[in-house]
Amino acid sequence: MAVSDFAVAAAPRRFSLLGNLAIQRLLLLLGLLVLWEIYARIAGDTGMIAGPSGILRAMGPKIFANPKVVAAIELTLFELAVAYGLSVVFGVVIGVAIGMTDFGRRCFNPIVVLLYSVPQVVLLPLIVLVFGIGPLSKIAFGFSHGIFPVIVSTITGMRTVNPTFLHGARAMGASRFQTIRHVIFPNMVPAVFAGFRLAMTLTLLGVLLAELYVSISGIGYFTQVFAETFDPSPLFALMTVLTVMAVALNELVRLVEARFTRWKN
Amino acid sequence: MPMSATQQRSQGQQFNRGRGAGDAVMDGKSKLAADAPVAIAVEHVTQRFDGRRPGQQVLALDDVSLEIRAGEFLCLLGPSGCGKSTLLNIIGGLNRQTSGTVRIGDTVVRGPTPSQVAFVFQESTLFPWYTVLENFKVSSDFQRSQASTWNDRAMSALRSVGMENFANHYPNQLSIGMKQRINLARGIFLDTPIILMDEPFAALDEQTRMVLGEDLSVLLARTGKTIVFVTHSLAEAVFLADRIVVMTARPGRIKATLTVEEPHPRSPDFMLAPRFSEIRNELFAILRDEIRQTVAAMREARDEGVVDG
Repeated sequence: MAVSDFAVAAAPRRFSLLGNLAIQRLLLLLGLLVLWEIYARIAGDTGMIAGPSGILRAMGPKIFANPKVVAAIELTLFELAVAYGLSVVFGVVIGVAIGMTDFGRRCFNPIVVLLYSVPQVVLLPLIVLVFGIGPLSKIAFGFSHGIFPVIVSTITGMRTVNPTFLHGARAMGASRFQTIRHVIFPNMVPAVFAGFRLAMTLTLLGVLLAELYVSISGIGYFTQVFAETFDPSPLFALMTVLTVMAVALNELVRLVEARFTRWKN
Repeated sequence: MPMSATQQRSQGQQFNRGRGAGDAVMDGKSKLAADAPVAIAVEHVTQRFDGRRPGQQVLALDDVSLEIRAGEFLCLLGPSGCGKSTLLNIIGGLNRQTSGTVRIGDTVVRGPTPSQVAFVFQESTLFPWYTVLENFKVSSDFQRSQASTWNDRAMSALRSVGMENFANHYPNQLSIGMKQRINLARGIFLDTPIILMDEPFAALDEQTRMVLGEDLSVLLARTGKTIVFVTHSLAEAVFLADRIVVMTARPGRIKATLTVEEPHPRSPDFMLAPRFSEIRNELFAILRDEIRQTVAAMREARDEGVVDG
């Protein structure tokens, strides 16, 4: 009796673990889309909201067939790439320089944390004044958003070395350079990548904010155009493109991270 | 020579006299040990640390002198905080003593000597971001070893602890016991005449510990290395050591020295021999007062609100 009870209890649990979770998520998503579609068709203001089917229909002709919009997506991607690249390189270099010594950490860490917590949007008008309304101001604003999480996570990564490893390296005769190369750097990889992922999201935010504020192209510019002309379907289509972009870029960083942290399991 | 050292010696001899069973072996063995050159000489080593309060100093080691012969397996045994790990770190050049000298062969120790001394610590020092084999390679680079045969030597060291199938695993994929086997193998791989072990089996469960101890005894009988082994465990000390140095509660001094006359490799049967329990009980008798003293000191420190680890 007890044995059969056990078997009955165990069987459905194993089922729900793998197969069903994915299906449940998919059903939930479909359900939400259907509700959205119904609302958009019955009660929605056509100037403000578009249903999923409308968005899908707008995707081809109004987004990908419009060379201006395609160019805008390309421009935003370019600005994002440059801003992100700069954030990563300068963030790591500055983070290492600060994290290397106790003195650096004590003196500069509070400054970095302070700057990180400033709501940068208030500086946007100034940045546009300095860098103009072209791509440069977007790159600058994306960079100023992206660099701080990289610096902070790099400093954290340098600080959290298990003393046992340093002790062991010293006992085996490691030089200072070898200690940095084989202990400190590999140790900080997970923390630094957490910063890289956060920086990706924030850089995109910075670039889009700058585009929304003032510009003549880019995704931010077109979202503004579509919103102000009461044309929600291409607006939502563009948002969808943007979301896919953001997820893809995040996954890309995660793939690179997985490559470098295979040892973590 | 200060008064205390003479006392220590006489006490050590007194404890040796208590046994008869191993005497026949002892003669042959002790002659061998006496002929062997001194591998490590510790001369009047004193260590003070800064205490919690400014100006306060803690005396960790008080005038410790010790000679360790080449090929000898020496256990340092004592209550927590008696400075046995400190002594080991001083021998290995990781800590700088306040006064006194340590010599390895003819050279005075002034810093880590990776060509002479390998360490095995309680916690694994395998870097988790490298595979086992990569860890061996990096250690060999740290040591500035020019040998191009590192790969073969690494594999043969791993084979000697039965871990050759895990050469390309990451440390996180292995159990604590497996990691300690590999740390041991690395100690052998580094090809130093001396290995210093700081409670290498302390984090293991008793069963794994016994098996590893047995393997260690077999391994070291083969390699003829000089070992200094710090432990809390009486049984471990008796099972592994040629000589056991018992230290006092802080400040650490040498309280007694016991020799264990049993050839390596030792079989688990040795643990069942009456002689094994005799030595173990002797050790406990020597240690009991020291442990009580340590506990009392900890209590006192707690009551004062000053706790020294």
